[in-house]
Order: sequence, then C-alpha cells, then structure tokens
Amino acid sequence: MVLIELNQVSKIYDETIIPIHAVDNVELKIEKGEFTAIVGPSGSGKTTMLNLIGGLDQPSDGKITVDGTDISTMKPDALINFRLHHIGFVFQAYNLIPVFTAKENVEFIMLLQNISKVEREKRAVEFLQAVGLQDRINSKPTELSGGQQQRVAVARALASTPSFVLADEPTANLDSVSAESLLDLMENLNQKHNMTFVFSTHDSRVIERAHRVITLRDGRIESDEIRNELAAQQK
Amino acid sequence: MLLTLAWRNIWRNKKRSLIIISAIAVGLCCGLFSSATMFGMWDSMINTTIDRDLGHFQIHSKAFEDEKLVTDTIPNFENVIATIKTNNNVTGVSSRILIEGMASSATTSNGVRILGINTETEKKVTSVYKHIVQGSYFEENWKNQIVIGEKLADNLGIKEKSKIVLGFQGIDGSIIYGAFRVTGIFKTESSIFDKSNVFVKENDILRLINSDKISNEIVVRLSSVQQVDSVYIPIKNTFSNLSVKYWGDLAPELKFYYDMLIVQMNIFVGIILFALLFGITNTMLMSVMERVREFGVLMAVGMKRSRVFFMIIMETISLSFIGGIIGLILALILIQYFGSVGINLSAFTEGLSQWSLGTRLYTSLPFSFYPPLVLMILATAIIAALYPALKAIKLKPATAIRTY
Repeated sequence: MVLIELNQVSKIYDETIIPIHAVDNVELKIEKGEFTAIVGPSGSGKTTMLNLIGGLDQPSDGKITVDGTDISTMKPDALINFRLHHIGFVFQAYNLIPVFTAKENVEFIMLLQNISKVEREKRAVEFLQAVGLQDRINSKPTELSGGQQQRVAVARALASTPSFVLADEPTANLDSVSAESLLDLMENLNQKHNMTFVFSTHDSRVIERAHRVITLRDGRIESDEIRNELAAQQK
Repeated sequence: MLLTLAWRNIWRNKKRSLIIISAIAVGLCCGLFSSATMFGMWDSMINTTIDRDLGHFQIHSKAFEDEKLVTDTIPNFENVIATIKTNNNVTGVSSRILIEGMASSATTSNGVRILGINTETEKKVTSVYKHIVQGSYFEENWKNQIVIGEKLADNLGIKEKSKIVLGFQGIDGSIIYGAFRVTGIFKTESSIFDKSNVFVKENDILRLINSDKISNEIVVRLSSVQQVDSVYIPIKNTFSNLSVKYWGDLAPELKFYYDMLIVQMNIFVGIILFALLFGITNTMLMSVMERVREFGVLMAVGMKRSRVFFMIIMETISLSFIGGIIGLILALILIQYFGSVGINLSAFTEGLSQWSLGTRLYTSLPFSFYPPLVLMILATAIIAALYPALKAIKLKPATAIRTY
C-alpha cells in the first residue's frame, strides 16, 4: 500500500532572484511499513524533501499525496491539522518542551488531538514504557540524557498514532550507545507494529539498518536502493 | 494543560519575569496611591463642605433660588421637617433663616451671609460648633449673640466679646440694624467660609425683623453620603413645589471636580499602564524570539496557530495580573495605612485653607475604581501580547525548527 507519493515534485527557493532547485522533479513512492533513509551530501535536498513529505513546506510544482490525501495545495491551518493526525516528527535536537515532564511532553500531542485527560495519561505512560522510560516519566528534559530525550521524542511522535514517523537526523546528537539503542527501538517498532519510518540522515549506523536508501544529489534522486529482503517483500 | 504551559513559560526566565512584574506592581501601586491622594483631597473637601455648611441636601422655596430674599420662605416648613424626620437614615434636620447683609465693627465693615439658626438642631447638621477657637458656640440666655469666623474677626479688627453691628433688609424692605456681641470665633478649613458667614440665633433675627417663625433653608444630614440618592429623591418627589437639592447641585464645582477627578485618575492610571505596555511587549517579544524553534516544533507537531496565539496571550495576561495583583495589594495597604493615619500637610496650611482642605490628608479610593482598573490591566496585557503573538504565529515551522 502506497503511503507517500511524490509526483514530479519540485521546490525552488528565491524564485525571483536566482532560482535554487532544492528538490527537482522528484518521483517517489514510499510503502506502508518501510524503514527508509534519505541520504546525500549537504545541500542535496534531504531536509527540503522531508519538509515537503511532512507538510512543513509546500512544493513549487508537482503533487504530494500522503495517506491518500493531496497535501500539496492544503492551506496552512489544514496542514497543521493533517500533521497532527497523520505524521509523527522526531527532530535532531529532540525539541521537547523544556517546562514539561516526559509524560507531559507525550500527553501534549494528545491534548492537541482533544483526547480525554484519563486516556492521555494512560497512553502517555504506555508509550514511555514502550521506549523504556517508565522510571523517568516525571523527569524534565534537562534531567534526561540526549538518548533519553530522543526516546521521549519518539514516544511523543508515536502518541499521535501517526501513519508514519519522519525523523530528521535523529542520531546526530547521540553517542554511539544511545544511537544504537534508539535505532533498536525504532526498528523494533517498525517490525512489530509495521510503523513506517522515513529518516533524513548522514549517519552510517542509520543507513546500515535502513531497508531502503534513497540517495539525493542536487535535488534529484541519484539512487534508490532496496537493501532488505523483508522490505522488498513488503514492496 | 495549555494554561499550565503558559504559566510555566513565565518562570523560564525568572529574573526577566520578576523585573517586569516589579515594574507593573510598583507602577500600579504608585498610580493608585497618587489617585487615592487626589481622591482623598476631594473627599476631604466635600466632607468638610458638607460638615461645615451644606449638609447632604437642602430645601428652599423655588423663589429663593432666584433672589435669595428673606421673604422667600418655605411654606409649612414645620410639616416638611416632620416628614423628613420620619426617614430612618436622616440623622439631623435644621431650619435656617438666611439674609445677606453687612457686618460692621468700629473701624470697617464686611459683606456677610447671616445664618439665623436653632443652635441645638444646627449642631446635628453642621460642625461649626466643633471649630470654635475663641469663646464658646452660644451661651444659654444672652440675647443677640453672634459667632463669627476668625478671618472676618481679623478683617473687622475685633475679638471675642466685641460688639458688631449687622445691617440687612427686613421683610418690609426697610434696613434693619442690630448690635450683636461676639461669643465665639470659629476657624474652619475654609478661610473663604470663615470670612463670609456669621451665625446668630433665629429668635434674635425674628425679633429684629418682627416676624413669626419662618424658614428660608432646611438642611438635612444623613448617616452617610452613599444614602443621598435613596433619601433625597423621594423627598424631592414628595415636595415638588419646593427646590430640593443634594450637595452636588448645591456645590456644582465640587461635583464637577469629582467628575473630572475620576476622568483624571483613569487617564493617570491609563498613562502608567500605557508606559508599562511597552515594557510588557518587550519582555514578551524577547520571550517569543528566544523560543522561535519551540514554536516551530509546536506548530510542526500540530499545534494550531490560534492555540499558539492564545498561549502567548495567556502568558502575558498571567504576567500582568501577577504584577497587577501585587501592585493592588501594596496600594491597598498604603491607602489603608495613610487613610487611617493621614499625611501631615501642616506646612501648607495657608494654601490648603483656600481650598477648604484640612492639614491632614487621608487617602481613600472608592471601590468602584477597582473593577475598571482590572479591565484596564487586562486590556493592557492583551494589547501588549498582540505583537509578540502575531510574530509567533507568522513563523514558518520548517524555518523555525532550524533556528538556533
């Protein structure tokens, strides 16, 4: 089942001065359950493509369909609502709300979805247990290590029960033990719950584990390599 | 949870928040205290005027309003007094005979208003008897006693027990002279009043003008100024053939001053809040600019712009209200303290007496001043939050997330 589809998508910055083709006429399909890494050198368009897939930015041309919905022409408020219910985000710098505890950070997404307080609290604890932080639910981000913060970010991303998770350089700020542990967690979620993960990364550890590696160069797809039998079967 | 977030955000930078809270608290406290000082002045002015002369309301014949002649008397005034006395809020009623005349000593003379009073009932409506500085209010059995103000005594060059001649027009139009002996000299907060009013017994006046009992003025005193409307309006309706006026009509300059004072106090506090508005805006703007990435993340993960906007408004309102409440409490403590102890202004006695003000100023601020103030703080907070909040919701999540 195709979850994300990009049809001749282009993103051009500074169109009126010197046009920069950050993403240039890209065709891409990502299936449900994939564990995909988008790689490429700096300036190749990884982040722009992730922003386009995540509805954080809109294409200059082409069509983006996510979970059967065309998001390329959506209005900003509709896009916010779409992101809330369909996309989970994990950022490089964790980006947790510093004044909230781990549990409150996870709960907050569900609050935005208007889920009842009792349900929110129950699910937040479950998600934190799932990422191995059951003993740190009342800790604030400053009281957690980088790896633990990123685990909270994963729990937060999953709390909204998204169609897929977009992770932008999720291991960039982590030591190797924390990075491996986080990747184990994500891989586990992918295998057990068929959760789709799309990474933008430079990290070889992520690339090694990815079932599919899409290499970008100058805004174009240079290669699209399916490296895992399981993912290949799913495709 | 959104409110919790807003509340906790305020305390992320404690020092900055405390500075702006202190600025709001001190600004508001000073503004309120100054307003309470101004209001206390007015309160003192109106209370001394009511105490000294006006009473809470007065009744005259309608004709008296035009010419102020002694012949313009209140018909059946004893019935009017009896009716007024039936009201439980009335603490005193006194009838007066009013005549414009001249007071002369051996050396000079002065235009005066002669008040022919019942000495006992007059004590229940005015407080001149409390301001006697020489002699006594009135002796029991003497005829033709007069009580005059210190300023008039100085002008006429007389003192206690001196003789004074009053000249005025009688009921038949003839000029009548009567010699009086000064039994008491009073000194009130108003030198103008002291210079232009003399008190004599009504029987002495009636004898001089050869008349039965008459009344030009009925002065009514109530247990408090707040009861004026509830008492005077029914009486005004009952005696529609008479002129019934409350203190605001009798001393329109004081009423006007009061109205202006309220406007002035609101403008004054408004200016303070307006100045604070920039401080609050600056604080909130700094807070927003420091959290650009966070707002980007919030919007990226699905927080609607309206909720981001609301959160910033709530942060600003909370910040302003903390400062506002502290300011209000400080101001209330100061107003209460100086409302009971007073501020000593004896260094300015001469100037204050021109304005009917005592030498001790008691601060006060009516309760009705506070609810609009709370609304003004709320409005200030909302206005101050607008720019930072708009700035926040205009952020593009994709760019904001990568702002370090």
